[in-house]
Amino acid sequence: MSLLEINHLNVQYITSEEVAHAVNGVSLVLEKGDCLGLVGETGAGKTTTALSIIRLLAEPPAKVINGEILFNGQNLLVLNEKEMRRIRGNEISMIFQDPMTSLNPVIPVGVQIAEVIRQHQRCSQREAMERAGIMLEKVGIRAERASEYPHQFSGGMKQRVVIAIALACEPKLLLADEPTTALDVTIQAQVIKMMVELRKQYDMTVVFITHDLGVVAEICNKVSIMYAGEIVEYGSLHDIFKNAGHPYTKGLFGSLPSGGKAKERLEPIKGLTPNPVDLPSGCKFHPRCPNAVAECREASPAPFEVSSGHVIRCRLSK
Amino acid sequence: MRSAGKAAPLLEVKHLKKYFMTSSGPLHAVDDVSFTIEAGKTLGIVGESGCGKSTLGRVILGLLEATDGEVIYSGENITNANKRRWKELRKEMQIIFQDPMSSLNPRFTVTECIAESLRIFNVCKDKKELNRRVFELMRTVGLDERLAASYPHELDGGRRQRVGIARALCLSPKFIVCDEPVSSLDVSIQAQILNLLQDLQKENDLTYIFITHDMFVVRHISDDILVIHLGCIMEKCSSDELFERQLHPYTKGLLAAIPVPDIDVPRIEVMLEGELTSPINPKPGCRFANRCIYAQERCFVEFPALEEVFPDHYVSCHFCREINKLV
Amino acid sequence: MADDAIRLKKMANGQFAVALRQFKRNRMAMIGLVMLGIIVFACVFQHYLTPYDYAIQDIPNRFAPISLKHPCGTDQFGRDLFTRILKGGQISMLIASTAVMFAAVVGAILGATAAFFGGAYETVVMRFIDVMMSIPGLLFAAAISTALGDGIDKAIIAIAITRISNLTRIMYSSTLTIINQEYIEAAQAGGASTARIILKYIIPNCLAPMIVQITLQLGITISIICSLSFIGLGVQPPTPEWGSLLNVGKGYIRQYWPMVTFPGIAIGLTIICCNLIGDGIRDALDPRLKR
Repeated sequence: MSLLEINHLNVQYITSEEVAHAVNGVSLVLEKGDCLGLVGETGAGKTTTALSIIRLLAEPPAKVINGEILFNGQNLLVLNEKEMRRIRGNEISMIFQDPMTSLNPVIPVGVQIAEVIRQHQRCSQREAMERAGIMLEKVGIRAERASEYPHQFSGGMKQRVVIAIALACEPKLLLADEPTTALDVTIQAQVIKMMVELRKQYDMTVVFITHDLGVVAEICNKVSIMYAGEIVEYGSLHDIFKNAGHPYTKGLFGSLPSGGKAKERLEPIKGLTPNPVDLPSGCKFHPRCPNAVAECREASPAPFEVSSGHVIRCRLSK
Repeated sequence: MRSAGKAAPLLEVKHLKKYFMTSSGPLHAVDDVSFTIEAGKTLGIVGESGCGKSTLGRVILGLLEATDGEVIYSGENITNANKRRWKELRKEMQIIFQDPMSSLNPRFTVTECIAESLRIFNVCKDKKELNRRVFELMRTVGLDERLAASYPHELDGGRRQRVGIARALCLSPKFIVCDEPVSSLDVSIQAQILNLLQDLQKENDLTYIFITHDMFVVRHISDDILVIHLGCIMEKCSSDELFERQLHPYTKGLLAAIPVPDIDVPRIEVMLEGELTSPINPKPGCRFANRCIYAQERCFVEFPALEEVFPDHYVSCHFCREINKLV
Repeated sequence: MADDAIRLKKMANGQFAVALRQFKRNRMAMIGLVMLGIIVFACVFQHYLTPYDYAIQDIPNRFAPISLKHPCGTDQFGRDLFTRILKGGQISMLIASTAVMFAAVVGAILGATAAFFGGAYETVVMRFIDVMMSIPGLLFAAAISTALGDGIDKAIIAIAITRISNLTRIMYSSTLTIINQEYIEAAQAGGASTARIILKYIIPNCLAPMIVQITLQLGITISIICSLSFIGLGVQPPTPEWGSLLNVGKGYIRQYWPMVTFPGIAIGLTIICCNLIGDGIRDALDPRLKR
C-alpha cells in the first residue's frame, strides 16, 4: 500500500464574486521513502494541494469539491477535526516558506519544539525539553540555545528550528512548501544538505514544493509538474530532466538562464499563467503551447503513460 | 575591464563609501568600491542579502548621499551634485526596482505611472501627444494597450514589472540601474523580462548596472561582474572569466552552493558554513575571514587590497595565489 | 484608447469605486447612512418641515402631551420640542463638522510634514501631540471653552483643538508607512519635487485611514459638544443645541420626560449612525476583507 495516494482532487475557492479553480483533478501516488518535487509557478495550485493533504485549507472560501486523499489507506478528507489534529505534527508535518513568521515570537524555540512533542506523546515537560534539545542538535543548532527566542536567530537558523519542530515526532510524511526560497543561496545550500541527511536518517517521505528545478535536482527522486491546478507531467527525476515530454516542462527548462550558452536569447513560454477564475477550455496550456492543434482547445487530454512511471498529459505525446 | 584605445567610460566609481549611523555603531553598507563601465555594457553586481548592492545602486543615482568617494558620469563628478543638477541627470540615469508591487503608486493607473516623468519634465505639448508616447512605450515593453487604465493591483507581477520598465524608459535614458528586476518573478516571466531588457539595450545602446543574487542570471546578462560581500568587492572581472576561473574563496563558495537544474552535474557543496554577519562596526581584516575555510591569522588583521591577479581580473584576498595553486 | 474610456474605467476600478461597492454591501453601514441622511435632511430643512418657530413661546401649551401636533411634546415655554430638536441638530452638526474639518486640515498638515521632514521638527510636533492626547477630551474642551467664552464660533475652535491630536497621529503613521515604500523612491528617481510627492503620492494614499478617522471623530465630537452645553459651556440658551436641551430637560425629568428623552435619543441615534458609517468605510477600504 502506498503511503500517500491522491485521487482526482478538486479544490475551488468560492467568493461572492467568483469561483477560482485552484486544483483540478490532481492524482498522485507516493511510496514510502520517496521525495516528490511538486514543481510549478505561482498559482499552479501546489500550496493548495499540500494544504488539502494536511487539511489546513481555510474553508470557506476554499472548498474540496471531490476526490480522496488516502494516507496509509485512510481517507483524510472524511476525518473530523479531532482525528486530524492527532495526525498533524505527528504523522504528517508541514513546513512553510517564510521562517520569519512561522515561529511564535514570544515563546522560546525549545518550548515550541517541546509543545509538539507533548501534544502527541505522553511525557513530562522536562523529558520533552530534553528531546527538544536533541532535535536542535540534529538540525545543527547547539542545544543550549533552546531557551532563546526566535528573533535571536537568523533566517537560516529559524528555518532549521521550523524543521526541528516538524520532525520532532518523527512524522511519516513531510510537506515542505518552498522552505528554502526565502533564504540566501549559501544558507539554502546548508539547509538543503541538512534536509538530505535527515531524510536518509529518518527514512522520511517528503513532498517538496518549489519552483526551482535546481533544488529539485538536489533533493528529489520523483517530480510532478503542475500547471493551472493539474499535474501535466509526472515521473522520476531522470524522466523529467532527460526526457521531458510536456511542452510546459520543456518551456520551463528553456526559460532557465542556466541552461544553454550564456548571453544567448532565452526561449520563454509566451503568454501568462491563466487566471484560475477564467481557465482556458480543453487543455489548459493550449493558448501558450507552440504545438497546439484544434483538438487541444476542445477537450482536456487524458494522462498518457509514455514509459513506466512517466505520465504526460498531452495529446501529442502519444 | 578597459582595453587600451577604447573611449572613456560612461560611469566611473572611485572609492565609494556609504556608512549609515546606527545606535550600535556605523554600518558599512558600501566600503571602498571602485569600478568603471563603458557605454553599452552591462555590469553585474552579485552578492547575498545585506551585502550592500542595492545601497550601491542608490548612491550612484543620488537617491542616497555618499559618505565618501566619487561618482563620475560622462566625465562629470556628480557625487554631490545639487538638486537642480540631479533633476537634469534624472533624464539620463534611471532605475528599475525589484518589487513591482511596491514600486508603483497604487493610486495611479498604468498610464499615469508611465507618464509621470513626462509630466514632470513637460516633455509633451498636449494630452494627445502624451497618450501617444505612453502607448508607444507600452508597445515597446510588450504591454497591451487595453491595460492603459488598469491599476497595479489588477496586474500580475510580470506586467507590473513591464510598467516599471516603461516608466524607466520614458525619458530615453542612457544608463539604468536594474535592482533585482526579475528576482520576484516566475521563471517563465523572468525569461521574458530578461529578453526584453537585452533587446532594449541593443536597440537603445543602454548601459546597465544589473544587481542580483542569482549567479545564472548575472552570467546570462552581464559583460563584467562585481562580487560583493559586506560592502566590499571580493572579485572583479569579466563575466566569462569569472565562470571559467573564480579565484576568490567567496566566489567559489557561491558557485558551489547553487543548485544546478541538471542531474549530470555534481551536487552542491557547502563551502561556506556559518551565517552572514552584519557590517556594523566591522573588525579589521578581510570581511570574509570568519566564513572562509582558508582563513589564516593575517586575514583577521590586515585588510586585503584589490589586486590585479590576471589582466583585468581583480581579487581581494591575501592568499589568492596559494589557494588557486598559481605561482 | 479614448480619453473618456480611460476615465470611465478609472472611475469604475479606482480605489473609491471598489470601496463604494463594498460599502453598499454592508447592511448596517447602509442603514446608518440612510438614517443619518434623514436626520441631516430634517435638520437642514427644519424651517420647511415644521410649522412652528423654535423660539416663539406659547405658554398655555407648555408640557403638551405627545400628539401628532407635537410629536415630541413642548418645553417649559410651550415651544415645540421637535422643532427645537431639529434646529438644535443644525447647530450641533454644524459645530461638529466644522470642528472636525478644521482639525483634519491642521492634523493632516502637521502629521504629514512631521513624518516627511523628520528631525527636530518631527520630535517637537509629535511630543506636543502626545501632551495634547494625554488631556481627557472633554476636560480639555471645557478648559478652552471657558477661556474663550461663549458662542458657536468659540465652541468650534475649542472642540477643533481637542481633535487635532488624533488626526495628526493617523496622518503621521500613514505617511511613515508610505514614505518607506519604493514608489516614493521611484518618484524621486523620476525627478518629482517634494511638493509633488506630498500632494500626488502621499496624501491620496493616506486618505483612506483619514476618512475613517474623520467619520468616527464626528460622532465623538457631537458627544463632546453636547456634553459641553450640558454643563453650561459653549452654546448657551436660548440657542437650542442638543446638549443644552438635555441640560434644561433634566430639571423636568420627573414631571415631563419628553424634554430629556427626545434630545437624548437624537444625540444617541446620530452618534450611532456616525459610528456605523465609520466602521463601514473602514471595512470597505480594508483590502484584506475583500475576499
